[in-house]
Amino acid sequence: MTLSGRLLVIVLIQTLVLAGMIAKCQWTLASGTPVVLKTQPIDPRSLFRGDYVTFNYEISRLKLNELEGEDEFRRHDTIYVVLKPGEPYWRAHAVYRAPPPGQLALRGTVQYVADYWWNPQTGASEAMPHINVRYGIEDYFVPEGEGRVLERPVAGEEISLRVAVDRFGNGAIQALLINGVERYRETLF
Amino acid sequence: MSFKKQLEQRLPHWVEQGWVSADSATRILQDTAAGERHGPRYVALAFSLLGVILIGSGVITFFAANWAAMPKLLKLGVLFSALWGSYVLAGVFERRQLPLLATAMLLLGVILFGSNIMLIAQIYHISAHYPDGVLVWALGGVLTGWLLRSQPAMVAGLGLGVLWTGLESHGFGREVHWPFLLFLAVSVWPVVQLRWRIALHMALAGLLLWSGFAFVAMSGWDYRDSAAIYLVQVYFLAYLALFLAGMLLQGRHGAQALAHTLQRYAAFAALGSLYLLTFPDLLRHARHAHLAWWLVTLAALLLVVALAAWHYRRTAGVMRPPFLNWGLGLLAAALLLLLVNLAAERHLAALLALLFNLLYFAGLLWLLRAAVHLEHRALVNMAFFFFAITLLARYFDTFWSLMDRSLFFMGGGLLLLGGGYWLERQRRRLTQQIAGQREGGA
Repeated sequence: MTLSGRLLVIVLIQTLVLAGMIAKCQWTLASGTPVVLKTQPIDPRSLFRGDYVTFNYEISRLKLNELEGEDEFRRHDTIYVVLKPGEPYWRAHAVYRAPPPGQLALRGTVQYVADYWWNPQTGASEAMPHINVRYGIEDYFVPEGEGRVLERPVAGEEISLRVAVDRFGNGAIQALLINGVERYRETLF
Repeated sequence: MSFKKQLEQRLPHWVEQGWVSADSATRILQDTAAGERHGPRYVALAFSLLGVILIGSGVITFFAANWAAMPKLLKLGVLFSALWGSYVLAGVFERRQLPLLATAMLLLGVILFGSNIMLIAQIYHISAHYPDGVLVWALGGVLTGWLLRSQPAMVAGLGLGVLWTGLESHGFGREVHWPFLLFLAVSVWPVVQLRWRIALHMALAGLLLWSGFAFVAMSGWDYRDSAAIYLVQVYFLAYLALFLAGMLLQGRHGAQALAHTLQRYAAFAALGSLYLLTFPDLLRHARHAHLAWWLVTLAALLLVVALAAWHYRRTAGVMRPPFLNWGLGLLAAALLLLLVNLAAERHLAALLALLFNLLYFAGLLWLLRAAVHLEHRALVNMAFFFFAITLLARYFDTFWSLMDRSLFFMGGGLLLLGGGYWLERQRRRLTQQIAGQREGGA
């Protein structure tokens, strides 16, 4: 193969990989079902890339005895969390290892499994089998300097995210809402 | 002494012997002088690579300063244009006979591919399992290195692969990150084919690092506390097999430098593993050999035997140096001892430790002999290093509880001074012998 041919192969492969990343997100954003998830910003970081906020969703920690589906999970398992609409936020309804047919489910990875959890209301540790899940939609990049504002919402402000969930379980952040009003919105290109 | 000066000294002798004509000698010297006037290639390469790093840093900081102000489509346009541009420039420089600049542009392309992965993840708020992004970046580097015959790109790809396994092993608590071995196998194949020594260094350093991560994970497996013993044995056998592979590679035309690199890392890890087995404390653990350990150990044993037999067949028809036969005997003793150790009772720990110590010191002597024969100075240094640390370890083991503390430290000091002097003299003697052999052979 000539030098030009080999360079073309490299450029094509690398471009396809990057285009694939974009296409997957665009497809999820365009075709996914929008769900609004309750969240709490927990960890804004200032990197050289700009500010980003890490969100801890209500569905990031799942109490297994309150959900339908399977009960036995291990660290690094891929799981599908069935979501049902609520008022105003969508909630976890069931959790499975395989994609449940005909139901809207968000795919995640089990970070850890625990039998006890600390109840902030009673200040005590209680028996509660639960799993902590990462969905790949925890980080949200914002313009430089605005991460701190989101980290410390003023009293009464509630932050939520509208997430598009496609039929394969992929999630993509569509908008960041404060008290139900859009603050940042992702557009197609 | 520079290559030109060496030639100036030797060429008159070669002309005298009739090996080279006087005219050829003059032309050789002129050609060498012309080559040296251009300056060493590595300086130019270092400057080109430094330039690439500065450009890469500039691109990233430019984005950092202007990111928020740019529309999404413009961001993507800039990212893709920069990537394509670097590869186009690499092609242009290559055609204009500027290989160093072409190499630098290829490396820039690899850096930009990785920064594009991160920046696209940022644009679309993708935060899923980020080591996957590092893996894709590493594969991009390896592919660029292989297809475009660029060792710097391959080294970058391998380095990123090591970063990937580090993130998976530590950042995400994977028990043993097996996929790294597949990545390494795929990447090392072109490295060996193209005789890339620096890339092989990177690959082998990565393998050692991965072995360390895997050891920490596997020695904690719940096959009770004997897992560490079996694991050390398997590591010893695996790296011994790699050393034998280096011996086989040595016989291939033009692969001596690669073989030396392979032997250096393999000998280091094999000696390190055997060193651990010389401690009675490790051997005192009760044996609860899970069937899997037997199978893995036997598989490693068979691999070592097969490679040794292959090497024997290769050298059977020619004059076999005596150290090879001595090595076969040592290998047989080592394999027997490892098998006995698999099922040994813990009360035999002291005897086993003694046998492992004898095997270890005999192995060091063999390595010294082999190093001189293979003209491998690094192996001589390594053998002396292991000899010195083991001597000290045995001194501590033996005399710590037997001697008065002041006598112990004075004795230790004398051992360090006297032993160090003697070891250094022996080491220098052997390395000079190797240098003499090389000069004689040149």
